[in-house]
Amino acid sequence: MVATDLRVAIIGAGIGGLSLVLALRERGLTAEVYEQAPELTEIGAAIALSANATREYARLGLLDELTAASTIPTELIYRQWRDGSRIAAHPVHNDNTYVSRFGAPYLGIHRADLQKSLSGAFGVKNVHLGCRLVNIIEDNNSVVVEFANGRVEHADIVVGADGVRSTVRRWVTGADDAVYSGTSAFRGIVPTDNLPSLPDPHAIQFWMGPDAHLLHYAIGGNGELVNFFAVVDTPRIWMHDSTVADVHEDVPVASFRGWHPAVTEMIRAAESPIRWGLFTVRPLLRWYRGRVVILGDAAHGMLPHHGQGANTSIEDAFALAAFLTESGRGDLETAFSRYQTMRRARTRKIQRSSLVTSSLLHLPDGPAALARNQKVARVPQDFGWIHEYDVQRALAALTPPVAARPGD
Amino acid sequence: MSHDETLAGITEVLGAVASINPSDVTPEKTLAELGLDSMTTLEVVVAAEDRFGLLIPDDESARFRTVGDLVHYIEQAAVPVP
Repeated sequence: MVATDLRVAIIGAGIGGLSLVLALRERGLTAEVYEQAPELTEIGAAIALSANATREYARLGLLDELTAASTIPTELIYRQWRDGSRIAAHPVHNDNTYVSRFGAPYLGIHRADLQKSLSGAFGVKNVHLGCRLVNIIEDNNSVVVEFANGRVEHADIVVGADGVRSTVRRWVTGADDAVYSGTSAFRGIVPTDNLPSLPDPHAIQFWMGPDAHLLHYAIGGNGELVNFFAVVDTPRIWMHDSTVADVHEDVPVASFRGWHPAVTEMIRAAESPIRWGLFTVRPLLRWYRGRVVILGDAAHGMLPHHGQGANTSIEDAFALAAFLTESGRGDLETAFSRYQTMRRARTRKIQRSSLVTSSLLHLPDGPAALARNQKVARVPQDFGWIHEYDVQRALAALTPPVAARPGD
Repeated sequence: MSHDETLAGITEVLGAVASINPSDVTPEKTLAELGLDSMTTLEVVVAAEDRFGLLIPDDESARFRTVGDLVHYIEQAAVPVP
């Protein structure tokens, strides 16, 4: 294979960066990952993996390990904010509905457990912690990356998988393209036993009310924890440098005053009062410059309301690995350009759809909310296109096609 | 780029993204008449961005009704590449 000597430096050891290592390795390439954090942990955060991502992990043989650390939701349920009545419900694990339709499972998992499985799958020796990128210098034959700790590395290409406030993106586009959405979130992980008012604790549920909603699903091997994400239409302007900000401990609870006890119990039980500003990345015309390319939130940061931020990063990683295997050190311009064309179209649609969903989840009681309730009854029909996506098939369907799987 | 070239470029994009027969494409045709829903329209818009090298904001593209609207937007937004 021509590409095996391609030196790939990945900036960011999040889900996208780690998945890229696995995707490259599946095709016979290695990569080094540089992460600014001193260790691979993210407190109070879980993610839901959908079939468009888990089908890739399944092919790599990671599914048993991931499933053991995950909870599969029984149903997807939409509820009214105050009285908790069911507006719509769709089976997920019940009757094996989701797997039969999409060919791979839906998993609620703690981010730390996922990162552990992914980094364990290739051995941690390729992940370099405490490396904060400060400079990228490119010449005709290679690219040099410099880190704040004085470390300097040479590579053939650099992949920016460094999140919605990406440093690498700034190098690619010359601007800060992150935009505050006017919405922010409180999140937390609570033992299921501490939530006596919660109906269907092992379902994934949206509680929808005026100017706010709360989403939760269970995580852990036995559904012993509930991960929640509560979104409000404030503040109008984000005044902080970081995407997270401390708030007074009363603020989360006050934001959901009058809601169903299951909601207020959950928010009250969260350990630390932190507000997460929800940022998106404005549509970009170019995802690469020279030998530097971006993926995941860095390229298409989106609102989380379809649960697709991490899942689309995983799709990106497997697509990029395929294009790089074909190009090797040769025609990077073509590889990056084809990657960008394929992934920009897919992610732009999900980005737009998540934005529309945001306002739908926050309607006041009344005619608009009633119309919305009809809509959420059709969610499996309307949003199946997100989950049924198969990145390997999409690669094989391109003109010219890209080898769908190694060895095909 | 001339008006005809822009229309030809859009016709190409419609064929590649939505399998629309070039002979069906005229400036007066509405996107709905060509069978495009909002998501397919967005795919066409993103492919047109790649083809013409410019960005079309989502709130602009939401207002496109006909093929001519898309052609017109591209013509007024296109800046000659130095």
